[in-house]
Amino acid sequence: MPYINTLTRRDFIQRSLLGGAGLGLAALANVPPFAARALAEGSIGLNGKKLLFVFLRGGNDGLGSLVPVQDSAYSSAIRTSTLIAKDGATDYSATPGTADFPTSPGATATFNYPNAIRLGNGYAALHPSLKFLAPVYNAGDLALIHRVGYPKQSRSHFDSQIYWENGQPLNSVSKEGILYRTVIESGLASTAPLTAVSIQSALPVLLRGSGAALTNLTDPLRYDLLGVPNSAATGDVKATNALLNAQSTPFPDKKSRAFLSLQYDGLLKTLSIFSSINFTETGNTYVDNVNTDGGSTPYYLFPTSQAKNGGYAANGNSTAKYVVDQSSGTTSFFAGLKAAALILNHTDALITGTEMGGFDTHDNQGGATGQHANLQQRIGWTLYGLRKYFQIYGKNGSAPAAGAKCSWNDVVVVLFTEFGRTTIENTSRGTDHAEAGVMFLAGGGVKGVGKSGRVTGVVGCHPGGTGAHPSDTNAPWISGPANQAGGVDGSLFGISDRYLKRSVDYRSVLGRVIRDHLGATQNQLTRIIPGYANEAQEHLLTGGTVTTPIESSGVNTPLIGEPDILV
Amino acid sequence: MSTRNFLLLGAALLSLATLPVARAQVAPPPPPSITNLTLIGSQRGLRWTPFPAAQSFKVFSTTDLGLPFTEDANGAVSGYSWTGTNSSSARFFRLDTTPLDSNALVTATVLNRLAYGPTPALLDRFKTNAIALYIAEQLAPETVPETVPNQHTNIAFFESRFAAPTTAIPLSATTGPGSAQVSDLRAWFKLRAVGADRQLLEVLLQFLDNHFVTQHTKTMDYFQFAYGDFTLRNRIATELEYRELTRWRTALLNPAGTFKDLLTISCESPAMIVYLDTVSSRGDGGRTPNENFSREIMELFSMGVDNGYDQTDITDMSHAWAGWTVEMFPTSEVFNPLATKTTTLLSPTGGGNYTNLVGSWAFCYRTGYHGASRSIFTNKFVPARFGPPWTTRTYANAAPGSYQLTFPARTGTNAIQDGYDIIAQLADLPFTQEFMSVKLCRLFVHEDFAHGYDFTAPQLTPEADLVRQCMLAWETNSPRGQVRKVLEVIFKSDLFRSHTAAFAKVKTPLEYTVSALRALRVSTNGTGLHGSWSADTDGTALATPLQRMGGMVLFDRAEPDGYPESGAGWISAGTLAERARWTQSLLIASGQTGHNGSQSGTGNDAGNSVTSPVRLLFARLPLLADQQNAAKVADVFLGLLFPGEGAANLNLYRTAAINFLNTSDDGLSASLFSALTPSATAANAYDTRVRGMVAMLMTMQRFQEQ
Repeated sequence: MPYINTLTRRDFIQRSLLGGAGLGLAALANVPPFAARALAEGSIGLNGKKLLFVFLRGGNDGLGSLVPVQDSAYSSAIRTSTLIAKDGATDYSATPGTADFPTSPGATATFNYPNAIRLGNGYAALHPSLKFLAPVYNAGDLALIHRVGYPKQSRSHFDSQIYWENGQPLNSVSKEGILYRTVIESGLASTAPLTAVSIQSALPVLLRGSGAALTNLTDPLRYDLLGVPNSAATGDVKATNALLNAQSTPFPDKKSRAFLSLQYDGLLKTLSIFSSINFTETGNTYVDNVNTDGGSTPYYLFPTSQAKNGGYAANGNSTAKYVVDQSSGTTSFFAGLKAAALILNHTDALITGTEMGGFDTHDNQGGATGQHANLQQRIGWTLYGLRKYFQIYGKNGSAPAAGAKCSWNDVVVVLFTEFGRTTIENTSRGTDHAEAGVMFLAGGGVKGVGKSGRVTGVVGCHPGGTGAHPSDTNAPWISGPANQAGGVDGSLFGISDRYLKRSVDYRSVLGRVIRDHLGATQNQLTRIIPGYANEAQEHLLTGGTVTTPIESSGVNTPLIGEPDILV
Repeated sequence: MSTRNFLLLGAALLSLATLPVARAQVAPPPPPSITNLTLIGSQRGLRWTPFPAAQSFKVFSTTDLGLPFTEDANGAVSGYSWTGTNSSSARFFRLDTTPLDSNALVTATVLNRLAYGPTPALLDRFKTNAIALYIAEQLAPETVPETVPNQHTNIAFFESRFAAPTTAIPLSATTGPGSAQVSDLRAWFKLRAVGADRQLLEVLLQFLDNHFVTQHTKTMDYFQFAYGDFTLRNRIATELEYRELTRWRTALLNPAGTFKDLLTISCESPAMIVYLDTVSSRGDGGRTPNENFSREIMELFSMGVDNGYDQTDITDMSHAWAGWTVEMFPTSEVFNPLATKTTTLLSPTGGGNYTNLVGSWAFCYRTGYHGASRSIFTNKFVPARFGPPWTTRTYANAAPGSYQLTFPARTGTNAIQDGYDIIAQLADLPFTQEFMSVKLCRLFVHEDFAHGYDFTAPQLTPEADLVRQCMLAWETNSPRGQVRKVLEVIFKSDLFRSHTAAFAKVKTPLEYTVSALRALRVSTNGTGLHGSWSADTDGTALATPLQRMGGMVLFDRAEPDGYPESGAGWISAGTLAERARWTQSLLIASGQTGHNGSQSGTGNDAGNSVTSPVRLLFARLPLLADQQNAAKVADVFLGLLFPGEGAANLNLYRTAAINFLNTSDDGLSASLFSALTPSATAANAYDTRVRGMVAMLMTMQRFQEQ
């Protein structure tokens, strides 16, 4: 495959230039609007910092991930089959700071511990299937942010996903992504062949926009054209060149044509870049540098097959030693995650990501085991595995891959979902769409427990006092009544008796990461997340009480602003 | 055919044309404007902006505006530019653009939207006949003879495995009725898409299945409580999908079929009852019912998001659906939700477990799960933006303009009627009329329709106007909501027939693969029988490609919004690579490297989907001399692949195709096409050359459009 760098940005841009000379300047409105000024400010893409996102689609039950075990209302009265029970032998009110890591030595199953895992802030705990988050948490590389949402929260999957992705709550018209705008602000979109890549079924709104074609890979292994006749040496070249030459043909404007042209450009530019990365299953040789479950063989970091799923093959094919549930959905997710990590480490892409589905647990959600528990296993191993991958195989790692470009300190991994789920279980032994949920942030540059004075990696799930970080304390968790009945109160019943109310706006979290990690200026950030321009009412930066018109009339919501979660 | 003239006078631009004033709202495309006049040495150059469906561009000039313009023979047009030799005196130039005739443009739009793309035979038929004939036929599918069962023996095979809704699923059968698995259903559905004469019916069935989305996998998972056997669950879940399709097909074949009919079928479908969790929802004993179905029936299946309902209505409505569950009934009772569980045993000694019961899974109304229904849309009025008649008429049992739905006190089995009252109310609301019209316009016209228009505005956009016309057709015919009346408005609209709609949409993976086969598909001996087709598939071979092109797994969409209708939902560099690979593989002869298995990645791209473009070519160019003429060969395929586009705009594709034919496989050295001996044999140089050229044209951006 020849390296393709000669293709002109065609169609509408070309047409705009054709129309130059005073005749067709209106067409220039389609040119990426920030291209010129973006180069003059900020350091996005120039400081080596990167972002990896995973969208947890369907609405993860945040109360089942980051469990408020010390809220007496969190009980079997509102959750019968979905309750994550406390361990009678553990004092959850103690504040050691660090999390427990239930070990399962010898022949004991990896996930045999059935109870909530103490996080050490005196209030919150982890789902037992998230146990592999404990090492990441205790290293100070993990922030768990509870009660994240946005004003006038939509409980529609589709609207809420769009709001998270376009960075503009309640604007379901804009299909321009928050990360797309970040790339545009980098000034690299029109010059670098690769800036942001998703690995999933289709390009997400996060990366979508009319001014640049960001790349989505459905299957990195198949990212190569055939020739007719098919021969790597000849027909391939002829077919590709023919496509390339003819692709520069301009056609009259049509509604979808400029978008298609951009995507064709993206295809032709990226073919050779990806062919240099080994995405194959046999190339997945990335293993941990410590042993787990008391075994003697390190586990694979990306469980892309049964044999690479934790201690399965290492422990006499014991199905009890899986680190994630064994399903085709799981292995294909980790294949995509691995590709996202490899692309960050081996190319100049600033942003990669993928998605995980299945969180819409209206029915038979399960508790310590079951469908929600299986999804938590994937979340836990995702962050554990990515940390080890970059610490070992990344730049400055203990065994860096050839040409490694990204260290664990360079990357922030962010996991988010469109909403949390109802605090009260429904009659199908599941939970319905609700409001505030949980975000997970991990990276060497994340400020978790023990870093720069933080006493906990938990944000937004504490009653105040010794377990809380000072800057989070203006929105404490308010415990509800133990045996709730009509007129209930407390955080679990913050809205309509069963929706958790937000105390952190997702834009404040993403905004802080885009500015303080990726390197945007505050001016750029205001263009990426328009809500920052209205600090007096939105309070995204420093927090405050949000009232009408941002909120509905009569609703007051205290926010903590940008959480203190980066070093 | 009209000629439009455009003139450049020095730097000023003057249009001599009087463009036809179509219906005021639909703006005609701007005329091409000359943007550049260069003088380099003895070369004089003109460039101009593209014009949709331009058939030819001609440059005229004169030295004196008092003298007539004459065609300038000192230069040549290439693409959107003209290069000529400088003559001594200064000249005025004029550009004449001849557009494609309007029937050809509309024919392309109709065949791309009412059908899964043109076939050579349909293009031939509507070169001489008005395309209005096809629209009329397709709107009355019961009048069109259906030949698709003859086209591939797999169709009869699959149909022998489907069970009619009243046929019990035989628990042990692996052949015959009831043995179909979802892969059979998918293959059968795609074979019909490729070959059906009643194309619009197939397009609408796909639309309905996707609109009222259900998920085969979820149904299978649900039945785990009753059956351990994976294949058995697959068969049961498949039969429920097939039942929906069959009932929708029947409703669409009814000339007066309404949206209410279609919505009722979806609500009564066990696949839907399982999919959105109504099956386990209970409102009795003060329980909180599951909201999932209540939310999605309003947001996605009828009214549209945030369009006339709020969370209170979702919560209130969920009480009415509590009790809508599924049960295994005697087969004769499959459409009687008040029946009782079957007691017929498969084996007299086998006990009463589901694995030993004979019957059909069906919608079952359980009174014990139902509490009391609550009024919905309480104190809600049709917003002023709809205007009359919607704001002033009555809905159900409320005062004029109010659409509050209050249920009489019903107990026991009578309370099933609450659900049917909701269906009738939703199907009647202006919100639903609007949202469904918007979705149909997105399907047939272009993507940029949305609900929420102010229909009382003095000046409606063409889009808002078309939606309003659809709503009027829905509202004013009796019974209300007739599908054909709404479709007829769309197909007769100026917007549908305009350049704004033509090629404005991107094909979904299903549309892309099926249209690729159809574009190259003729019955080479005219019989229309199995084996005679120049492009064909066994149906099954399309499953993996659709999966790879963005995860389009029919009957198994996980999210209740259905697969996207917009191009942006499908197109990225990765999915384009999959589309290009599949197309290239499809054009590689069966048995040659790359058709099954290839140089990288996992193979088997096209598999049992095969083409022979040369067999198609021989049917259209019988003379040897023509078969060896690269330009004529290129023109045959340009005409089949890009109908509705003018020759002038295809000029550069044509040049690329001719160059390809005259280049050897290394992509560099010249190799005259006229020196090759025409042959349709695999691996023959002529066959390979034509295949490569067709693959190139079909992987171009323009073949993604419809």
